[in-house]
Amino acid sequence: MANAVRALARSLLGVIRVPTYYLPWIARPGLECTLVLSNVEARFKPDSRRGPYTLAVEQYDADGAVVRRHELTLRDATDVVELPLVPAAGGYGLVTVSGERLYSDLYVTVSDGESYCVTHGRGEWIERYPAPARLAHAAVGGVLALAGRTVPAFTRHQYAYAGTDSRSHLLVLNLSNVTNRVRVTATREGTDAPTRVLAIPPLGARLLDVGALVGAGGETRVWRLHLAANAWFNFYLVGTGPRDLAGPVSLMHVK
Amino acid sequence: MSNRPSALLSATFWEPGYEHLVESVHQRDPEAARHLASLDVAIHDEQGKELASLPQDRASEIVDLDRIVRDVAGTEHRVMVLFDARYDERIFPYRPHHYAYLHRRGSTAPALYYAVNAVLGGVPDRIGAARLNNFETYVFRASPFAERYSVLLGNVARFSPAEPEVTLYYERDRETRTVTLGPKTHVELDLPAEREGQRLRRLEVKSVFRLATYVVGRRAASGDLVLFDHLFTYFK
Repeated sequence: MANAVRALARSLLGVIRVPTYYLPWIARPGLECTLVLSNVEARFKPDSRRGPYTLAVEQYDADGAVVRRHELTLRDATDVVELPLVPAAGGYGLVTVSGERLYSDLYVTVSDGESYCVTHGRGEWIERYPAPARLAHAAVGGVLALAGRTVPAFTRHQYAYAGTDSRSHLLVLNLSNVTNRVRVTATREGTDAPTRVLAIPPLGARLLDVGALVGAGGETRVWRLHLAANAWFNFYLVGTGPRDLAGPVSLMHVK
Repeated sequence: MSNRPSALLSATFWEPGYEHLVESVHQRDPEAARHLASLDVAIHDEQGKELASLPQDRASEIVDLDRIVRDVAGTEHRVMVLFDARYDERIFPYRPHHYAYLHRRGSTAPALYYAVNAVLGGVPDRIGAARLNNFETYVFRASPFAERYSVLLGNVARFSPAEPEVTLYYERDRETRTVTLGPKTHVELDLPAEREGQRLRRLEVKSVFRLATYVVGRRAASGDLVLFDHLFTYFK
Protein backbone atom coordinates (compact mmCIF):
# COMPACT_ATOMS: atom_id res chain seq x y z
CA MET A 1 0.00 0.00 0.00
CA ALA A 2 2.72 2.42 1.04
CA ASN A 3 4.67 1.53 -2.10
CA ALA A 4 1.64 2.23 -4.26
CA VAL A 5 1.11 5.61 -2.60
CA ARG A 6 4.77 6.49 -3.07
CA ALA A 7 4.67 5.43 -6.72
CA LEU A 8 1.60 7.59 -7.27
CA ALA A 9 3.25 10.54 -5.51
CA ARG A 10 6.37 10.16 -7.65
CA SER A 11 4.24 10.10 -10.75
CA LEU A 12 2.33 13.23 -9.72
CA LEU A 13 5.51 15.07 -8.78
CA GLY A 14 7.31 14.04 -11.96
CA VAL A 15 10.12 12.29 -10.11
CA ILE A 16 12.60 10.39 -12.25
CA ARG A 17 14.63 7.57 -10.79
CA VAL A 18 18.04 7.43 -12.44
CA PRO A 19 19.69 4.00 -12.02
CA THR A 20 22.94 4.62 -10.18
CA TYR A 21 25.65 2.52 -8.57
CA TYR A 22 26.94 4.26 -5.49
CA LEU A 23 29.28 3.66 -2.58
CA PRO A 24 30.06 5.61 0.56
CA TRP A 25 33.46 7.05 1.35
CA ILE A 26 35.04 8.22 4.58
CA ALA A 27 38.54 9.65 5.00
CA ARG A 28 39.88 11.07 8.22
CA PRO A 29 43.37 11.94 9.42
CA GLY A 30 45.29 8.68 9.42
CA LEU A 31 42.66 6.88 7.36
CA GLU A 32 42.69 6.45 3.62
CA CYS A 33 39.76 5.39 1.51
CA THR A 34 40.23 3.46 -1.73
CA LEU A 35 37.82 2.06 -4.27
CA VAL A 36 38.52 -1.40 -5.63
CA LEU A 37 36.99 -1.66 -9.07
CA SER A 38 36.65 -4.76 -11.19
CA ASN A 39 34.20 -6.45 -13.50
CA VAL A 40 35.07 -10.02 -12.72
CA GLU A 41 31.53 -11.29 -13.20
CA ALA A 42 31.65 -10.22 -16.84
CA ARG A 43 33.57 -13.43 -17.53
CA PHE A 44 30.27 -15.25 -17.36
CA LYS A 45 28.35 -12.95 -19.68
CA PRO A 46 28.70 -14.13 -23.28
CA ASP A 47 28.41 -10.64 -24.73
CA SER A 48 30.91 -9.06 -22.38
CA ARG A 49 33.86 -11.37 -22.06
CA ARG A 50 36.56 -9.28 -23.60
CA GLY A 51 36.57 -5.76 -22.36
CA PRO A 52 37.98 -3.20 -22.03
CA TYR A 53 35.43 -1.57 -19.72
CA THR A 54 35.37 2.17 -19.23
CA LEU A 55 34.20 3.47 -15.88
CA ALA A 56 33.32 6.99 -14.79
CA VAL A 57 33.67 7.81 -11.11
CA GLU A 58 32.30 10.92 -9.40
CA GLN A 59 33.16 11.70 -5.80
CA TYR A 60 30.80 13.97 -3.87
CA ASP A 61 31.61 15.70 -0.61
CA ALA A 62 29.34 15.88 2.42
CA ASP A 63 27.47 18.83 0.94
CA GLY A 64 26.90 17.12 -2.38
CA ALA A 65 29.49 19.01 -4.44
CA VAL A 66 31.51 17.01 -6.95
CA VAL A 67 35.09 17.12 -5.74
CA ARG A 68 36.72 14.79 -8.23
CA ARG A 69 35.88 13.02 -11.47
CA HIS A 70 37.82 10.05 -12.79
CA GLU A 71 37.65 8.05 -15.96
CA LEU A 72 39.41 4.74 -15.94
CA THR A 73 39.58 1.55 -17.89
CA LEU A 74 39.54 -2.06 -16.83
CA ARG A 75 41.54 -3.96 -19.42
CA ASP A 76 39.51 -7.13 -19.10
CA ALA A 77 37.26 -9.04 -16.74
CA THR A 78 40.05 -9.95 -14.34
CA ASP A 79 41.65 -6.52 -14.18
CA VAL A 80 41.37 -4.77 -10.82
CA VAL A 81 41.97 -1.03 -10.40
CA GLU A 82 42.43 0.63 -7.02
CA LEU A 83 41.37 4.26 -6.92
CA PRO A 84 42.36 6.30 -3.86
CA LEU A 85 39.76 8.91 -2.97
CA VAL A 86 40.72 12.40 -1.88
CA PRO A 87 39.77 13.73 1.53
CA ALA A 88 37.18 16.45 0.97
CA ALA A 89 34.81 18.69 2.86
CA GLY A 90 33.16 16.88 5.72
CA GLY A 91 35.49 13.89 5.46
CA TYR A 92 32.82 11.64 3.98
CA GLY A 93 30.28 11.45 1.20
CA LEU A 94 29.21 9.26 -1.65
CA VAL A 95 30.77 8.09 -4.89
CA THR A 96 28.96 7.08 -8.03
CA VAL A 97 30.35 4.67 -10.61
CA SER A 98 28.92 4.25 -14.07
CA GLY A 99 29.91 2.17 -17.03
CA GLU A 100 28.41 -0.07 -19.64
CA ARG A 101 28.41 -3.80 -19.11
CA LEU A 102 29.37 -3.44 -15.48
CA TYR A 103 28.17 -6.55 -13.66
CA SER A 104 30.24 -6.82 -10.52
CA ASP A 105 29.71 -5.28 -7.16
CA LEU A 106 32.40 -2.74 -6.39
CA TYR A 107 34.25 -2.32 -3.15
CA VAL A 108 35.22 0.59 -0.95
CA THR A 109 38.00 0.06 1.57
CA VAL A 110 39.08 2.08 4.60
CA SER A 111 42.56 1.59 5.98
CA ASP A 112 44.67 2.91 8.82
CA GLY A 113 47.77 1.61 7.04
CA GLU A 114 47.97 -1.58 9.12
CA SER A 115 44.74 -3.24 8.12
CA TYR A 116 41.70 -2.46 6.05
CA CYS A 117 38.00 -3.11 6.07
CA VAL A 118 35.79 -3.32 3.04
CA THR A 119 32.20 -3.18 1.97
CA HIS A 120 30.38 -3.02 -1.32
CA GLY A 121 28.21 -0.47 -3.01
CA ARG A 122 24.61 -0.57 -4.11
CA GLY A 123 23.02 -0.58 -7.54
CA GLU A 124 19.93 1.53 -6.86
CA TRP A 125 18.89 4.93 -8.17
CA ILE A 126 19.01 8.63 -7.51
CA GLU A 127 15.72 10.49 -7.42
CA ARG A 128 15.51 13.58 -9.63
CA TYR A 129 12.73 15.99 -8.70
CA PRO A 130 11.66 18.70 -11.18
CA ALA A 131 11.87 22.34 -10.09
CA PRO A 132 8.27 22.71 -8.80
CA ALA A 133 8.64 19.58 -6.68
CA ARG A 134 11.96 20.85 -5.32
CA LEU A 135 10.28 24.09 -4.30
CA ALA A 136 7.46 22.18 -2.63
CA HIS A 137 9.98 20.06 -0.71
CA ALA A 138 11.85 23.16 0.39
CA ALA A 139 8.71 24.94 1.57
CA VAL A 140 6.96 22.06 3.32
CA GLY A 141 10.17 20.52 4.63
CA GLY A 142 11.40 23.83 5.98
CA VAL A 143 8.21 24.42 7.94
CA LEU A 144 8.11 20.88 9.32
CA ALA A 145 11.77 21.08 10.29
CA LEU A 146 10.96 23.99 12.59
CA ALA A 147 8.87 21.55 14.58
CA GLY A 148 11.49 18.80 14.37
CA ARG A 149 9.50 16.83 11.79
CA THR A 150 9.85 15.76 8.19
CA VAL A 151 7.65 14.39 5.43
CA PRO A 152 7.92 10.64 6.16
CA ALA A 153 7.97 9.51 2.54
CA PHE A 154 10.58 6.85 3.26
CA THR A 155 11.36 5.07 6.49
CA ARG A 156 14.08 2.70 7.57
CA HIS A 157 14.81 0.82 10.73
CA GLN A 158 18.25 -0.07 12.01
CA TYR A 159 19.91 -1.24 15.18
CA ALA A 160 22.81 0.81 16.48
CA TYR A 161 25.32 -0.25 19.10
CA ALA A 162 26.94 2.04 21.64
CA GLY A 163 29.36 1.32 24.47
CA THR A 164 32.63 2.51 25.92
CA ASP A 165 34.84 0.23 23.81
CA SER A 166 33.01 0.30 20.52
CA ARG A 167 29.99 1.66 18.77
CA SER A 168 28.32 2.11 15.41
CA HIS A 169 27.51 5.35 13.64
CA LEU A 170 25.40 5.91 10.57
CA LEU A 171 26.70 7.48 7.40
CA VAL A 172 23.44 8.71 5.88
CA LEU A 173 23.41 9.36 2.12
CA ASN A 174 20.91 11.62 0.39
CA LEU A 175 20.14 9.92 -2.91
CA SER A 176 18.09 12.72 -4.39
CA ASN A 177 18.42 16.22 -5.77
CA VAL A 178 16.36 17.83 -3.00
CA THR A 179 17.37 18.68 0.52
CA ASN A 180 16.55 15.56 2.46
CA ARG A 181 15.46 16.00 6.04
CA VAL A 182 16.02 12.72 7.82
CA ARG A 183 14.38 12.47 11.20
CA VAL A 184 16.10 10.00 13.51
CA THR A 185 14.59 8.60 16.67
CA ALA A 186 16.37 6.14 18.95
CA THR A 187 14.66 3.94 21.53
CA ARG A 188 15.53 1.06 23.81
CA GLU A 189 13.43 -0.60 26.48
CA GLY A 190 11.17 2.34 27.04
CA THR A 191 13.94 4.93 26.81
CA ASP A 192 13.76 7.57 24.11
CA ALA A 193 16.84 9.48 23.05
CA PRO A 194 16.42 13.04 21.76
CA THR A 195 15.13 13.20 18.21
CA ARG A 196 17.50 14.52 15.58
CA VAL A 197 16.70 15.94 12.15
CA LEU A 198 19.56 15.78 9.65
CA ALA A 199 19.19 18.26 6.78
CA ILE A 200 21.25 16.73 4.01
CA PRO A 201 21.91 18.69 0.82
CA PRO A 202 21.25 17.03 -2.55
CA LEU A 203 23.67 14.11 -3.03
CA GLY A 204 25.24 15.01 0.28
CA ALA A 205 25.84 12.93 3.37
CA ARG A 206 25.83 13.27 7.14
CA LEU A 207 27.52 11.16 9.77
CA LEU A 208 25.11 10.49 12.61
CA ASP A 209 27.14 10.19 15.80
CA VAL A 210 25.11 7.56 17.60
CA GLY A 211 27.21 7.87 20.75
CA ALA A 212 26.38 11.55 20.99
CA LEU A 213 22.72 10.80 20.38
CA VAL A 214 22.20 8.01 22.91
CA GLY A 215 25.27 8.17 25.16
CA ALA A 216 28.06 5.64 24.93
CA GLY A 217 29.29 4.84 28.41
CA GLY A 218 29.46 1.38 29.96
CA GLU A 219 28.67 -1.90 28.27
CA THR A 220 27.43 -2.07 24.72
CA ARG A 221 23.76 -1.27 24.43
CA VAL A 222 21.57 -1.89 21.44
CA TRP A 223 19.30 0.90 20.23
CA ARG A 224 16.50 0.79 17.71
CA LEU A 225 16.78 3.58 15.22
CA HIS A 226 13.87 4.76 13.13
CA LEU A 227 14.71 7.02 10.23
CA ALA A 228 12.10 8.90 8.21
CA ALA A 229 12.92 11.13 5.26
CA ASN A 230 11.20 13.17 2.59
CA ALA A 231 13.25 11.68 -0.28
CA TRP A 232 15.17 8.53 -1.12
CA PHE A 233 18.12 7.80 1.13
CA ASN A 234 20.28 5.00 2.41
CA PHE A 235 22.99 4.59 4.99
CA TYR A 236 26.06 2.57 5.90
CA LEU A 237 27.20 1.63 9.36
CA VAL A 238 30.54 3.04 10.51
CA GLY A 239 32.07 0.93 13.27
CA THR A 240 34.54 2.39 15.73
CA GLY A 241 36.69 1.18 18.61
CA PRO A 242 37.66 2.80 21.92
CA ARG A 243 39.02 5.91 20.19
CA ASP A 244 35.70 6.35 18.43
CA LEU A 245 36.01 8.41 15.24
CA ALA A 246 39.58 9.42 16.09
CA GLY A 247 40.70 5.81 15.56
CA PRO A 248 40.34 3.22 12.81
CA VAL A 249 36.83 2.65 11.48
CA SER A 250 34.96 -0.06 9.66
CA LEU A 251 32.30 0.44 7.05
CA MET A 252 29.39 -1.86 6.30
CA HIS A 253 26.31 -1.97 4.14
CA VAL A 254 22.84 -2.70 5.44
CA LYS A 255 20.02 -4.41 3.60
CA MET B 1 0.60 -16.44 10.83
CA SER B 2 0.69 -18.77 7.85
CA ASN B 3 0.45 -22.50 8.54
CA ARG B 4 3.26 -23.00 6.02
CA PRO B 5 6.12 -20.92 7.38
CA SER B 6 9.20 -20.31 5.26
CA ALA B 7 12.62 -21.28 6.54
CA LEU B 8 15.95 -19.56 6.53
CA LEU B 9 19.12 -21.31 7.64
CA SER B 10 22.03 -18.97 8.29
CA ALA B 11 25.49 -19.63 9.65
CA THR B 12 28.27 -17.80 11.38
CA PHE B 13 31.32 -18.62 13.46
CA TRP B 14 31.94 -17.84 17.11
CA GLU B 15 35.31 -17.30 18.69
CA PRO B 16 35.91 -16.54 22.37
CA GLY B 17 36.60 -13.02 23.57
CA TYR B 18 34.27 -11.15 21.26
CA GLU B 19 31.10 -9.22 21.81
CA HIS B 20 28.95 -10.89 19.19
CA LEU B 21 25.39 -9.65 18.91
CA VAL B 22 23.19 -11.13 16.20
CA GLU B 23 20.03 -9.41 15.05
CA SER B 24 17.29 -12.03 14.88
CA VAL B 25 15.68 -9.82 12.24
CA HIS B 26 17.57 -7.18 10.31
CA GLN B 27 15.12 -4.34 10.61
CA ARG B 28 13.23 -3.36 7.52
CA ASP B 29 9.71 -3.59 8.69
CA PRO B 30 7.47 -1.78 11.14
CA GLU B 31 8.18 -2.77 14.70
CA ALA B 32 4.88 -4.50 15.24
CA ALA B 33 5.45 -7.03 12.48
CA ARG B 34 9.00 -8.03 13.13
CA HIS B 35 8.64 -11.28 15.02
CA LEU B 36 9.75 -14.61 13.69
CA ALA B 37 7.66 -17.74 14.07
CA SER B 38 10.65 -19.43 15.67
CA LEU B 39 14.42 -19.21 15.90
CA ASP B 40 16.62 -22.15 16.88
CA VAL B 41 20.36 -21.92 17.34
CA ALA B 42 22.57 -25.00 16.85
CA ILE B 43 26.24 -25.08 17.78
CA HIS B 44 28.72 -27.39 16.06
CA ASP B 45 32.39 -28.01 16.66
CA GLU B 46 34.95 -28.27 13.89
CA GLN B 47 34.28 -32.00 13.45
CA GLY B 48 30.57 -31.39 13.06
CA LYS B 49 29.46 -32.64 16.46
CA GLU B 50 26.40 -30.83 17.72
CA LEU B 51 27.27 -29.27 21.04
CA ALA B 52 23.86 -27.77 21.69
CA SER B 53 20.54 -26.85 20.14
CA LEU B 54 18.98 -23.83 21.77
CA PRO B 55 15.52 -22.49 20.92
CA GLN B 56 15.44 -18.73 21.24
CA ASP B 57 12.69 -16.47 22.43
CA ARG B 58 11.01 -15.64 19.13
CA ALA B 59 10.30 -12.10 20.23
CA SER B 60 13.91 -11.45 21.17
CA GLU B 61 15.46 -8.93 18.82
CA ILE B 62 19.11 -9.58 19.62
CA VAL B 63 20.87 -12.89 20.25
CA ASP B 64 23.89 -12.41 22.50
CA LEU B 65 25.93 -15.10 20.83
CA ASP B 66 28.83 -15.03 23.24
CA ARG B 67 26.53 -15.43 26.21
CA ILE B 68 24.82 -18.52 24.83
CA VAL B 69 27.87 -20.15 23.24
CA ARG B 70 30.83 -19.66 25.55
CA ASP B 71 29.86 -22.26 28.15
CA VAL B 72 28.72 -24.74 25.54
CA ALA B 73 31.91 -24.30 23.50
CA GLY B 74 34.17 -25.16 26.42
CA THR B 75 37.75 -25.22 25.15
CA GLU B 76 36.84 -24.95 21.47
CA HIS B 77 38.63 -22.05 19.81
CA ARG B 78 35.86 -21.69 17.25
CA VAL B 79 32.43 -23.18 16.60
CA MET B 80 29.95 -22.93 13.78
CA VAL B 81 26.59 -21.51 14.79
CA LEU B 82 23.47 -22.18 12.74
CA PHE B 83 20.34 -20.07 12.92
CA ASP B 84 17.18 -21.85 11.84
CA ALA B 85 14.56 -19.14 11.44
CA ARG B 86 10.96 -19.83 10.50
CA TYR B 87 8.94 -16.92 9.30
CA ASP B 88 5.82 -15.83 7.50
CA GLU B 89 6.44 -14.59 3.97
CA ARG B 90 3.63 -12.09 4.37
CA ILE B 91 5.59 -10.45 7.16
CA PHE B 92 9.00 -10.85 5.56
CA PRO B 93 8.34 -10.80 1.80
CA TYR B 94 12.05 -11.05 1.06
CA ARG B 95 13.55 -12.76 4.10
CA PRO B 96 14.27 -11.70 7.66
CA HIS B 97 18.06 -11.66 7.35
CA HIS B 98 20.40 -11.66 10.28
CA TYR B 99 23.12 -9.07 10.68
CA ALA B 100 25.63 -9.03 13.52
CA TYR B 101 27.86 -6.75 15.54
CA LEU B 102 31.32 -8.06 16.38
CA HIS B 103 34.08 -6.57 18.49
CA ARG B 104 36.88 -8.15 20.49
CA ARG B 105 36.75 -7.00 24.09
CA GLY B 106 39.64 -4.68 24.90
CA SER B 107 40.73 -4.41 21.26
CA THR B 108 41.62 -1.10 19.68
CA ALA B 109 40.17 -2.39 16.40
CA PRO B 110 36.87 -0.95 15.21
CA ALA B 111 33.66 -2.88 15.68
CA LEU B 112 32.59 -4.91 12.68
CA TYR B 113 29.07 -5.27 11.39
CA TYR B 114 28.33 -8.05 8.97
CA ALA B 115 25.61 -9.92 7.14
CA VAL B 116 25.25 -13.44 8.49
CA ASN B 117 25.54 -15.94 5.64
CA ALA B 118 22.15 -17.11 4.44
CA VAL B 119 22.93 -20.66 3.43
CA LEU B 120 19.67 -22.45 2.82
CA GLY B 121 16.02 -21.54 2.59
CA GLY B 122 14.39 -18.21 2.16
CA VAL B 123 13.06 -17.23 -1.21
CA PRO B 124 14.98 -19.55 -3.52
CA ASP B 125 15.67 -17.25 -6.43
CA ARG B 126 16.95 -14.52 -4.17
CA ILE B 127 19.15 -16.37 -1.76
CA GLY B 128 21.75 -17.92 -4.00
CA ALA B 129 20.84 -21.52 -3.35
CA ALA B 130 18.57 -22.31 -6.27
CA ARG B 131 21.18 -23.99 -8.44
CA LEU B 132 23.59 -26.72 -7.65
CA ASN B 133 26.75 -24.97 -8.76
CA ASN B 134 27.87 -22.29 -6.41
CA PHE B 135 30.67 -19.99 -7.31
CA GLU B 136 31.89 -17.18 -5.07
CA THR B 137 34.67 -14.66 -5.31
CA TYR B 138 36.51 -12.02 -3.27
CA VAL B 139 39.02 -9.38 -4.32
CA PHE B 140 41.90 -8.25 -2.09
CA ARG B 141 43.83 -5.01 -1.90
CA ALA B 142 47.17 -5.13 -3.67
CA SER B 143 49.10 -3.30 -0.95
CA PRO B 144 50.70 -5.22 1.92
CA PHE B 145 49.02 -4.83 5.31
CA ALA B 146 49.92 -6.16 8.74
CA GLU B 147 47.06 -8.58 8.42
CA ARG B 148 46.59 -12.33 8.06
CA TYR B 149 43.87 -13.58 5.74
CA SER B 150 41.88 -16.77 5.77
CA VAL B 151 38.60 -18.17 4.58
CA LEU B 152 36.14 -19.94 6.85
CA LEU B 153 34.15 -22.71 5.18
CA GLY B 154 31.28 -24.55 6.80
CA ASN B 155 29.06 -27.31 5.46
CA VAL B 156 25.59 -26.95 6.90
CA ALA B 157 24.17 -29.99 5.06
CA ARG B 158 22.64 -32.69 7.21
CA PHE B 159 23.92 -35.70 5.30
CA SER B 160 26.01 -34.69 2.31
CA PRO B 161 29.75 -34.04 2.37
CA ALA B 162 31.11 -31.19 0.26
CA GLU B 163 34.37 -30.84 -1.60
CA PRO B 164 34.77 -27.14 -2.23
CA GLU B 165 37.55 -26.03 -4.53
CA VAL B 166 39.35 -22.96 -3.25
CA THR B 167 41.52 -21.08 -5.75
CA LEU B 168 43.93 -18.33 -4.72
CA TYR B 169 44.87 -15.99 -7.55
CA TYR B 170 48.19 -14.22 -7.19
CA GLU B 171 49.51 -11.65 -9.63
CA ARG B 172 50.56 -14.27 -12.15
CA ASP B 173 50.13 -17.66 -10.53
CA ARG B 174 47.28 -19.48 -8.95
CA GLU B 175 46.93 -22.21 -6.37
CA THR B 176 43.94 -24.50 -6.04
CA ARG B 177 43.10 -26.49 -2.95
CA THR B 178 40.30 -29.00 -2.53
CA VAL B 179 38.86 -29.49 0.92
CA THR B 180 36.60 -32.25 2.14
CA LEU B 181 33.94 -31.11 4.56
CA GLY B 182 31.64 -33.60 6.22
CA PRO B 183 28.15 -32.59 7.26
CA LYS B 184 28.18 -29.76 9.81
CA THR B 185 31.98 -29.56 9.80
CA HIS B 186 34.00 -26.44 9.17
CA VAL B 187 37.55 -25.37 8.53
CA GLU B 188 39.61 -22.20 8.41
CA LEU B 189 42.03 -22.10 5.50
CA ASP B 190 44.96 -19.71 5.65
CA LEU B 191 45.35 -17.48 2.61
CA PRO B 192 48.98 -16.40 2.34
CA ALA B 193 48.95 -12.74 1.34
CA GLU B 194 52.12 -13.21 -0.68
CA ARG B 195 53.60 -16.07 -2.64
CA GLU B 196 56.95 -15.90 -4.38
CA GLY B 197 56.79 -12.13 -4.33
CA GLN B 198 53.28 -11.99 -5.75
CA ARG B 199 50.40 -10.50 -3.84
CA LEU B 200 47.13 -12.33 -3.32
CA ARG B 201 44.57 -10.59 -5.50
CA ARG B 202 41.53 -12.79 -5.64
CA LEU B 203 39.86 -15.80 -4.08
CA GLU B 204 37.32 -18.13 -5.62
CA VAL B 205 35.33 -20.84 -3.91
CA LYS B 206 33.45 -23.40 -6.00
CA SER B 207 31.15 -26.00 -4.55
CA VAL B 208 28.16 -28.05 -5.61
CA PHE B 209 25.95 -26.35 -3.06
CA ARG B 210 26.09 -23.28 -0.93
CA LEU B 211 28.44 -23.28 2.03
CA ALA B 212 28.89 -20.89 4.90
CA THR B 213 31.80 -18.77 3.69
CA TYR B 214 33.52 -15.79 5.24
CA VAL B 215 36.73 -14.04 4.29
CA VAL B 216 38.60 -13.22 7.46
CA GLY B 217 41.33 -10.67 8.16
CA ARG B 218 43.17 -10.61 11.48
CA ARG B 219 45.67 -8.12 12.75
CA ALA B 220 49.04 -9.83 12.43
CA ALA B 221 50.20 -8.89 15.93
CA SER B 222 47.08 -9.48 18.01
CA GLY B 223 44.89 -11.71 15.88
CA ASP B 224 41.96 -9.33 16.35
CA LEU B 225 39.37 -9.66 13.62
CA VAL B 226 39.41 -6.65 11.34
CA LEU B 227 37.66 -8.24 8.38
CA PHE B 228 34.75 -10.68 8.47
CA ASP B 229 32.97 -10.51 5.19
CA HIS B 230 30.84 -12.50 2.81
CA LEU B 231 32.05 -13.43 -0.65
CA PHE B 232 30.17 -12.57 -3.83
CA THR B 233 28.15 -15.21 -5.59
CA TYR B 234 28.36 -15.55 -9.37
CA PHE B 235 25.91 -18.31 -10.06
CA LYS B 236 22.79 -18.47 -8.04
